[in-house]
Amino acid sequence: MQLKVSLHEATRSLRYVYERITSCGSFPSGASGLSKTPIIKTDNLTKSFGKLAAVDHLNLIIEEGEIFGLLGPNGAGKTTTILMLTTVIRPTEGTATVAGFDVKKSPNKTREMIGVCFQEPKLLWVSTPWDVLNWHAKVCGLSTEERKKRVRWALEQVDMWDDRRKTVHALSGGMKKRVEIAKILIQRPKIAIVDEPTAQIDVVGKHRIWNMLRDLRKEGSTIILATNELQEADALSDRVAIMHKGKLLVCDTPKKLKDSIPGGDIMEVQLEKEAPKKVLTELEALKEIVTVKEVGSNVLRLYLNQVEAITPRIMKLFFDHSLHIVSLHMSEPSLDDVFAHFTGLTLEEAQKTD
Amino acid sequence: MGLKQIRFVVERDLRMFMRYKFILIMRGIWFVSQVALFGLVVSKMVEVAAAAAGINYFQYYVAGVTIITLYSTSMFIGYDIFEEAEHGVFEYLLTLPVSRRELVLGRSIGGGLRSFIYVGPLLVVVLSLLGVSNPFHFLLALASLFLFAFGVSGMSITIAVAMKSGDKYDILIGVLDALIVRLSTTMYPPVYLQQAMPTYATIAQFNPLTYASDLFRWGTGIEGALHVNPFVGVLALFIFFFSFTFVGVVFYERRLEGGSWQ
Repeated sequence: MQLKVSLHEATRSLRYVYERITSCGSFPSGASGLSKTPIIKTDNLTKSFGKLAAVDHLNLIIEEGEIFGLLGPNGAGKTTTILMLTTVIRPTEGTATVAGFDVKKSPNKTREMIGVCFQEPKLLWVSTPWDVLNWHAKVCGLSTEERKKRVRWALEQVDMWDDRRKTVHALSGGMKKRVEIAKILIQRPKIAIVDEPTAQIDVVGKHRIWNMLRDLRKEGSTIILATNELQEADALSDRVAIMHKGKLLVCDTPKKLKDSIPGGDIMEVQLEKEAPKKVLTELEALKEIVTVKEVGSNVLRLYLNQVEAITPRIMKLFFDHSLHIVSLHMSEPSLDDVFAHFTGLTLEEAQKTD
Repeated sequence: MGLKQIRFVVERDLRMFMRYKFILIMRGIWFVSQVALFGLVVSKMVEVAAAAAGINYFQYYVAGVTIITLYSTSMFIGYDIFEEAEHGVFEYLLTLPVSRRELVLGRSIGGGLRSFIYVGPLLVVVLSLLGVSNPFHFLLALASLFLFAFGVSGMSITIAVAMKSGDKYDILIGVLDALIVRLSTTMYPPVYLQQAMPTYATIAQFNPLTYASDLFRWGTGIEGALHVNPFVGVLALFIFFFSFTFVGVVFYERRLEGGSWQ
């Protein structure tokens, strides 16, 4: 009997550890103002095309009101996940609930909750931006008055008002993408899914779109951001799930993900004089510091974790030993480093191997 | 099922259709050349034989070509579906808050309605050539042509959704067009078809184009065309329409929901 209980507890503990590794179920601790109510939950969501599992037993929980980044190279399974969540394709195995609706059992209800901005703009060459958006607004149930207002507003927001009557084939790639984004600005869905929203958009436009997405979240939308742009995921997301070859590698706030790399933060300190051995030993004794290296004359490079938290203590240590600092340079790991940490490949390399 | 949503889908198809100006103009030229060139020459050739049976072949042919045009423009919706699939627009449509049933029904109605709108001006020309002897007959024929156009659109969507390749669809529609038009009474009076090829005449009796063209001729008062009771013709077209617009919807819905159309 005793053995049975122990086995049961051991199994439960193992299961807990397994779920922490394979699922993205933890609530964000860093993102403030979130309601922490799951709005999307996937349960072993799988899509196979023949023998290839494009999405492989994906377990995710996305909370209401957050910007959730889905990061991964092309072919990671981001778009296939989106297509399953929007009921365009049916999962081979497992399921997902969107705002409480099962994507398999209640596809119509699911679609009422979702708006999608596709990676490739979905426009026919004979359409015009105004036609596309006006019809989209109608189908999404906007009243005539509201529709006119919002279509104009959205076209102005994306700088397409003057080009609203041009046919799609006369628009550049960036312009088409802006029309695609305008769709969700008009719709203001409960859940907005944006797939590579700033692909083909210039730097200024990129920041404008990021602000639009932030505003959309402020208005109450939950945003799923699928991207292979690390900077974008980092700048916008409350939490990031990194996918590779259809599997979820890791999921947490960008900060926690970066902090999860041992010695990922780097601090380079140039001192007025050489640091005594005692100082180096005291530095190495700090638990956040992984390695201390002397690089050049009077220059120390510290590989550490949680650079913001540990910096005051390091400064105090130098001060206590009357070591004056000439210059200080700090850098934290990028999400690319996180990806590389978990896969052994950079995003660029992963893109090539796929 | 929301009528509003269906209306929006219909409206979209109508708008899109009117943007294919080049195709529509070419179709119009095709129709005019079939009537003014081929129709005139062939009717002269068969004049003697047709006249013996009391048939004005030119009138007979013009009515037939009108139905062929209605058929081919109603089939056009299937090409739209492939074009949309190619541009990814189909995926977009499938993410909208519109049920699959509303989407397919809307497209079927839109496909039929727009072909009717397109054929409208041609019909006016044709009627000025043929005249209308009995308005009631004509209105009944017109109503049955609506059923025919919606049914053909539904059929076109069914085939488009069932096929996974645009090229295969193109070839299949070409073959189907050849078979369905030639194995009907659109171009040959049933009396001659029966004499020349009895097997063909039997097959033609199950062809919706036969009923559509014969009803149209009956509605405009062309002699010697109809081979069955007009009400049987209306019933046949109603069954054709019902099969592809309502029963077919269930089929499309199952295929569309969940992406097996891909």
